[in-house]
Amino acid sequence: MRGKDVAKTVIIVFLVLWAFYALWPTYKFWTIDPEQKKTMEAEGTLYELTNKAIKMGLDLQGGMYLVLEVDLPALVDQLARNKDDQFEEIIEASKEELNVSTENFMTILRRNFSERNIPLNRYWGERGDSERKIVNDLEDEAGSAMTRSLQKLRNRIDRFGVSEPNISPLGSRRILIALPGISDPEQAKELIQSTALLEFRMLKDPEVFTDVIEKIDNALAQERGARTPEETEAAEADTAAQESEQKPSQDKVISVSELFGEEEPTPVETEEGDTSLVVDEQMFEENPFLALLRDTRRYGHNVSVPIENVTAVDRIIQREDIQRHVPSDAEFLWGSEPFTIADRTYRELFLLKKEAELTGQYLTDARVTIGSDVQSAGQPEVHFSLNRQGARVFSRVTGANIGKLMAIVLDNRVVEDAVIQTKIPDGRSRITGITDMDKAKMVSIVLEVGALPAPVEIIQERTIGPSLGQDSITRGRYSALIGMCIVVVFMIIYYRMSGMIADVALLLNLIFVMAILAQFRFTLTLPGVAGIVLTIGMAVDANVLVFERIREELKTGKTVRASIDAGYSRAFRTILDANVTTLLTALVLYQFGTGPIRGFAVTLSIGIVVSMFTALVVTRLIFTHITARRTLTRLSI
Amino acid sequence: MQFFQTPNIDFISRRRYAYFLSVGLFLLGIVTLIVRGGPNYGIDFKGGTSVVVRFEKEISTTQLRDALASMGMGTSEIQTFGTRNEYLIYVEQQRGASATETARRVEEAISQSVSDIAYEIRSIDTIGPKIGEELRKATILAVFIALLLILIYIGWRFELVFAVGAIAALFHDVLITLGIFGLLNYEISLKEIAAFLTIVGYSLNDTIVVYDRIRENLKVLRSEDLMTIMNKSINQCLSRTVVTSLTTFVVVFILYLFGGKVIKGFAFAMLVGVIVGTYSSVFVASPIVLEWQMRHGGKRELKMARKKR
Repeated sequence: MRGKDVAKTVIIVFLVLWAFYALWPTYKFWTIDPEQKKTMEAEGTLYELTNKAIKMGLDLQGGMYLVLEVDLPALVDQLARNKDDQFEEIIEASKEELNVSTENFMTILRRNFSERNIPLNRYWGERGDSERKIVNDLEDEAGSAMTRSLQKLRNRIDRFGVSEPNISPLGSRRILIALPGISDPEQAKELIQSTALLEFRMLKDPEVFTDVIEKIDNALAQERGARTPEETEAAEADTAAQESEQKPSQDKVISVSELFGEEEPTPVETEEGDTSLVVDEQMFEENPFLALLRDTRRYGHNVSVPIENVTAVDRIIQREDIQRHVPSDAEFLWGSEPFTIADRTYRELFLLKKEAELTGQYLTDARVTIGSDVQSAGQPEVHFSLNRQGARVFSRVTGANIGKLMAIVLDNRVVEDAVIQTKIPDGRSRITGITDMDKAKMVSIVLEVGALPAPVEIIQERTIGPSLGQDSITRGRYSALIGMCIVVVFMIIYYRMSGMIADVALLLNLIFVMAILAQFRFTLTLPGVAGIVLTIGMAVDANVLVFERIREELKTGKTVRASIDAGYSRAFRTILDANVTTLLTALVLYQFGTGPIRGFAVTLSIGIVVSMFTALVVTRLIFTHITARRTLTRLSI
Repeated sequence: MQFFQTPNIDFISRRRYAYFLSVGLFLLGIVTLIVRGGPNYGIDFKGGTSVVVRFEKEISTTQLRDALASMGMGTSEIQTFGTRNEYLIYVEQQRGASATETARRVEEAISQSVSDIAYEIRSIDTIGPKIGEELRKATILAVFIALLLILIYIGWRFELVFAVGAIAALFHDVLITLGIFGLLNYEISLKEIAAFLTIVGYSLNDTIVVYDRIRENLKVLRSEDLMTIMNKSINQCLSRTVVTSLTTFVVVFILYLFGGKVIKGFAFAMLVGVIVGTYSSVFVASPIVLEWQMRHGGKRELKMARKKR
């Protein structure tokens, strides 16, 4: 044996040792039982293991994958000044166009403005600014909003304690978030999407509130009265039928279409939610709006709405003709959490001033505590403090409005409402009425990390339950094992001794691929598993090419050693050309594919490169060892 | 063991039958695609929301459908997914509702349809319509870039005619596989595209092995004409072609059988691809080179036949 071959043998032995070393944590991680896993997690040693084991993609271990897009229309809207009706109209039109067009928002917006002959600098930038500069500035702003959003989201997710999240930019407007093993996707989405816009706003006086509600009620009653008698009759017949079924209750169930009448086109932009409403029958005839509400508290500054009616009420108060009855400086907002009294769930509706007295930009810290006073004993609360400047404003506002009602609004939901008892000088306040601890934790996190510079929209979501992932792992492993066995047996039958050598190469190929995945922290996805299975099939190809060549050479009467030499050298160029082209497609797949597809490209590429090594170098060396000592007259091939 | 001792099959002169078969399959695929109005795109390309849910007990699809209809999603598709109590619900992008909002509503409908049966949401996929379109464009671009790279590589390693033959074989493979997908109305999403690109790589692998033999024989068998050289080369490679195709076919077939619903479409595309790819490397890739050369000066015009590499 030549010195070169000795060196090769040493290298291969070394590589095999390395592969086992790299795969050891994976083996350990896959074989420990769940109980042991728990104790290791408590000790903190599990992290070390998972960090070295093969990383599983979301499709295998379960979890959530989100693509967010910075809501450009909303950002552009936020940045504008001197907004008027015409502005709103253009923004709306542009948004609608965006839904059907492939152009980007800025292009559409710019065209819409120039079509109407309105210069962009009426709403953005300085008076003398050119169109181009304004567009560029807005685009810069969007880019910076994206970077800042990314930071804030990272901060939020880190604080919430998700293990191994991946939060990275995707192009210029998008953010990719991968949260492995998340248990509550809804909560995760809330954590991410919450803009965390905290506002302190004054409630409208109870008299104004009552007045507005009555006005809306009158308007609706008039509208119903204007309908044809037949229609009402039909509705009544319907009611009777309903009533006979539900005698004990004096509430009746009506349909939304009945409420609005057939001629009322269903507004598409509002939620299509529950279609059954709970109303008091008699009251509904006279006071269609009041009937939908149920004032259990009788405070006068807010009203409770049975949860079944929330959608209908929301639709009514959104209507343009109804909005006319709401004072221009006020708006309706819903309470954040539904509450339950006597088996019925309600949600509160408030009428607040549009303008905020104070916003969350002055907030310095927020933390969760357990409430201690009578009302909120045992419930989580979020306490927060404002900085000096904020505290000064807060103190002035509370001092000027003693006896009046103030609300804390988070992302357009009222989270707290209370009568101001005294002037509050220290800028400390709290949010109560949060039902569970996780939610409270989330609120405190979003408050402290601060608001996102622009709203973000989830444009793609992929959630894989852990059980489906486990299924895929089991099936993938199973398929790989069966496929491998069949190929191994086939190779031995077809090429006998040489087939066994090829099988050694195949086995090494599999071990090396896995070891590389583990060592270099590549992610194994389900298509990745498919890639490995495919590699098994294709890895033998190199050996098949070589063996067929050797057979041919043997037929021409060459000696065993000469045939082996010729077989390897002649097949090499073919194998190289064939594998380079497959590698090219794998690279393109990697470049253009997303998560799971990339996993496939990765395992396929690694498989191809490794198979070149195992099928050519390793098998060749085994042949050399066999033929080194004695001269074979026949080769088992 | 050996499948073929010294095969000597005249593949090339039977190429016209193969043309008929290929063109027939190709037309069949195209016609079905046109009749159906394009491929049956999966969620990745058309957007929307799909939810996989598993119920503890048996539940009727009507029950599910009614619940979805009451939420204004009556046009949803419901299909069984894997085991009997598992369903995949697909809802088109709802107007005015955000992507995640739709997913939430489907979940709500599911919980409404069954009050007493425990269920588990196994996966949720939501893709906005814009993303779908972008993915479609990016994918087409990816396929073209892959083909271009291959064309350049083969043109460099062999000769341009060979590259053209190889690319023709690739188009042939992908279009026929696409046609078979259309015929069976199977869905095409990103995973299937990955499979198509793998078919491209695989078929090429086969083609190049044959080309390589032709390149070699052109230098050795100087007195033979191109057709004889091609036949001889294909026959010499036949054992290898069959063995490799067989092993690849077997593992992909295992994946198709046991890999589970998620990977089934992928495995099926690969299965078809292995068969079509093997066929095309024998009956499409080389004959095209031959047809070209017969019209443009025969063997002598091939640079490879003249100079030594």
